[in-house]
Amino acid sequence: MTSDLSSFAARLREFIAASVPVAADARRLDSKAEDGAHFDQAKNEPPHVGGYAEKFNRLALELFNLQFANNSAYRIICEARRLTPLTVSHWSQIPAVPTAAFKELELTSLAPVERTRVFHSSGTTAQRPSRHFHHAESLAVYEASLWPWFAAHVAADVRRLNSSAAGLASGVEVDPGLLTSAATYRTVVLTPSPAQAPNSSLVHMFDFVRQELRADAGAFVGRLGAVGEWALDFDATLAALTPNGSRPLLVLGTAFSFVNLLDEMSAQSIRLELPTNSRVLETGGYKGRSRELPKAELHALITERFGVPASHIICEYGMSELSSQAYDAASLKSEGQSLKSGRAFRFPPWARVQIISPETGREVGEGETGLVRVFDLANVFSVLAIQTEDLAVRYGDGFELIGRAPYAEPRGCSLMAVGSSRA
Amino acid sequence: MNLPNYFLADLPSEATLSPTMLAEACGTLKRNREQYLAPRTTEHMVKFIANLAEGWLQADHPFRALALAQGPGKTGFGRPTLERGLDQFFGQLTRENLRALLVQELGDVKRLDALVAPPGEAKFSRAAIATGPEFLVHIAAGNIPNPTWMSLVLGLFTRSAQFVKCGRGASFLPRLFAHSIYEADHKLGACLEIAEWRGGHAALEAELFAAADCVTATGSDETLAAIRSKLPVRTRFLAHGHRVSFGYVTAEALVGQAAKKIVAAAADDVGAWNQLGCLSPHVIYVQRGGEFAPEHFAQLLAEELERREAREPRGDVPPEVAASITSRRGIYEVRAAHSPDTRMWHSQKSTAWTVVYEADAHFAMSCLHRFIYVKAVADLSVALQAADAVRGQVSTVGLAAAEEEAQVITETLARWGVARVCPLGQMQNPPLTWRHDGRPALGDLVTWTDWEK
Repeated sequence: MTSDLSSFAARLREFIAASVPVAADARRLDSKAEDGAHFDQAKNEPPHVGGYAEKFNRLALELFNLQFANNSAYRIICEARRLTPLTVSHWSQIPAVPTAAFKELELTSLAPVERTRVFHSSGTTAQRPSRHFHHAESLAVYEASLWPWFAAHVAADVRRLNSSAAGLASGVEVDPGLLTSAATYRTVVLTPSPAQAPNSSLVHMFDFVRQELRADAGAFVGRLGAVGEWALDFDATLAALTPNGSRPLLVLGTAFSFVNLLDEMSAQSIRLELPTNSRVLETGGYKGRSRELPKAELHALITERFGVPASHIICEYGMSELSSQAYDAASLKSEGQSLKSGRAFRFPPWARVQIISPETGREVGEGETGLVRVFDLANVFSVLAIQTEDLAVRYGDGFELIGRAPYAEPRGCSLMAVGSSRA
Repeated sequence: MNLPNYFLADLPSEATLSPTMLAEACGTLKRNREQYLAPRTTEHMVKFIANLAEGWLQADHPFRALALAQGPGKTGFGRPTLERGLDQFFGQLTRENLRALLVQELGDVKRLDALVAPPGEAKFSRAAIATGPEFLVHIAAGNIPNPTWMSLVLGLFTRSAQFVKCGRGASFLPRLFAHSIYEADHKLGACLEIAEWRGGHAALEAELFAAADCVTATGSDETLAAIRSKLPVRTRFLAHGHRVSFGYVTAEALVGQAAKKIVAAAADDVGAWNQLGCLSPHVIYVQRGGEFAPEHFAQLLAEELERREAREPRGDVPPEVAASITSRRGIYEVRAAHSPDTRMWHSQKSTAWTVVYEADAHFAMSCLHRFIYVKAVADLSVALQAADAVRGQVSTVGLAAAEEEAQVITETLARWGVARVCPLGQMQNPPLTWRHDGRPALGDLVTWTDWEK
């Protein structure tokens, strides 16, 4: 019964609300992790204390039972793998569905009449997109999951920078409301508006953030290009980005929109100096929409052209098939981590990640490379266990993204794919 | 045994090549060629190459031993896969085969030595001599070594100074071959150079292309277009774009005891060079209506690949390759759970081999490394329709057909645009006289001087 899912959704929101202080205080917990008191890397236990692990496991198994019962496309996959609620006893055994399956199957517990919203994966128009169906209740869960973790990563910096002014002692938990009550940021979003991109989960997310930050709809400076691609109105973008007083900016966008913007600024020899405390959030791959840059290079260019230091640049990792997002931020990283880029993504406490060896199917060890698998409790009405095609290196309960598996998708006629393989 | 620092590719990886170094190397090669290589006769070269190949076939040959000892680590191919590849390639290089190649492509074994007139030409009071390029450059793709080895052999025939540019980290097997030439005859070795760098290094490539009379290249269409755009107009360019290949098994052929042999042959083609060559199959089309259903064939092939893995393990692959295979398996697993039109068999706890059966006949590009599609078709015309997306880009069809139907099938494939039809099991093992992608490999290298008496 989907009413069971509704009841689960309500309890999950309580769980998320209870986790928020933990989420907001990720920095403090990180420092605990360093002295090893609460953090067993070998077991991939996140730095959450108390009965968290048990609670996550209980909720995950309960949700798996409900999805097995209510999501027939998923049940068929589970049965083919001989993994059912009778045989699965730990969250890590819950069958993960490849993201590509969202292109072919209706992986949802929602009846067709209940589906009021659908998020599509981005990608080339030649491919079928993934479809993640939503309705009001599932979007409410999505938003309940999205906000505290987003705020924790933006607020962490607010706290640090304003700690003396705001009278906050180090280690005091931050109310994510701090962000909104102070109307701290002026928001600029480098994507098309929700009206122009109604099926983008990213735009939905940015729009929700925009509303929480009480920015008006004019914050969206992107538009749709001639063939429906995401483009930027450069004049409007530069006008929006030009500082107006000392109020810091929060600039949200995809990596490719930043590259296109930075290239244009370079061509016009434009350099901005955003106000102190301004932040940039970049997300997503490139999908051929701009030249591709290594993350460090992109961040260096952002610093050069916007005057925003690396510590104020946040990366987001999300996808239409998930309802929670992971963030990495230089300001949150533990000291002494040996990451190549110095940054690791982390999901919120209501989602868990495993980095899976593509060769053996087992979780990799610390510092090893594998495919990202996410167990997202906020995916209440679809499938909680998602197998991505993204390769990452495992660092504790976080990961550093290194790219997408090439040729993961079968294609009928793309000789190019083979041509560039090892030539 | 360690290789001496003789070629540029022998230099430690931190050594950087400069355009000046390349210009000097090209000059040296040309001088050495003039002195040591140009005066030799074709018969001398035939004997030299055949002796060299005989050496490579001996178990105690030092370069063979080195290829087998270090190859798995440096190339990713398992030892048995390398052994099979070496035996097949060098087994072809006999005196008889080399002479047959000369006759097929140039009309006479002495054509590169003197003005000669085979009977057909003599009748018209004509004679002709063929001349190879003075300086021949090969841009190697690096998936498998055979094309590069073959290019070197042909360049020895044409008595050209040769420079082989390998991709980064892909020079090991070509280097060993070059070292074996040097070891057998220092002066011939002095007319060869092997280097590696990441393609697209404009300054280095400009030096190389300025010196070359003829450039051969294997690679993607973009790679080839980029090279072509940088070559001086009068430099000859022999481009081998990427090709795909597939197998075709008729219902007539797939009967009784023969079926077992056909399955083994298909496994040979999937295992050879881990399926990485352009001649390796992506798909094996199996005709419906015979004693063995296509799906059954797929299952038998899976069982055979499982046995092969024990005997000839594929070897390790980098994480991104394993990730491609695993991700793709994930998709087919989901499809198979939902429909009997898809089935999949694969190695457990590894990505070593995968067989995907699909009732949908559309040609699919495999992610290779022993990942093969088996697809059911009513007949050849359905298979060709399904493969229309790759028409004009198909190199080889590995055929298993009854004797009486093979010729008609081959003629149909030829009209459709296939360059080579061979028995299933021999796809990655073309004869020396094979016309590479439908072109005469030696014939394309030479220029002619005709004499009308």
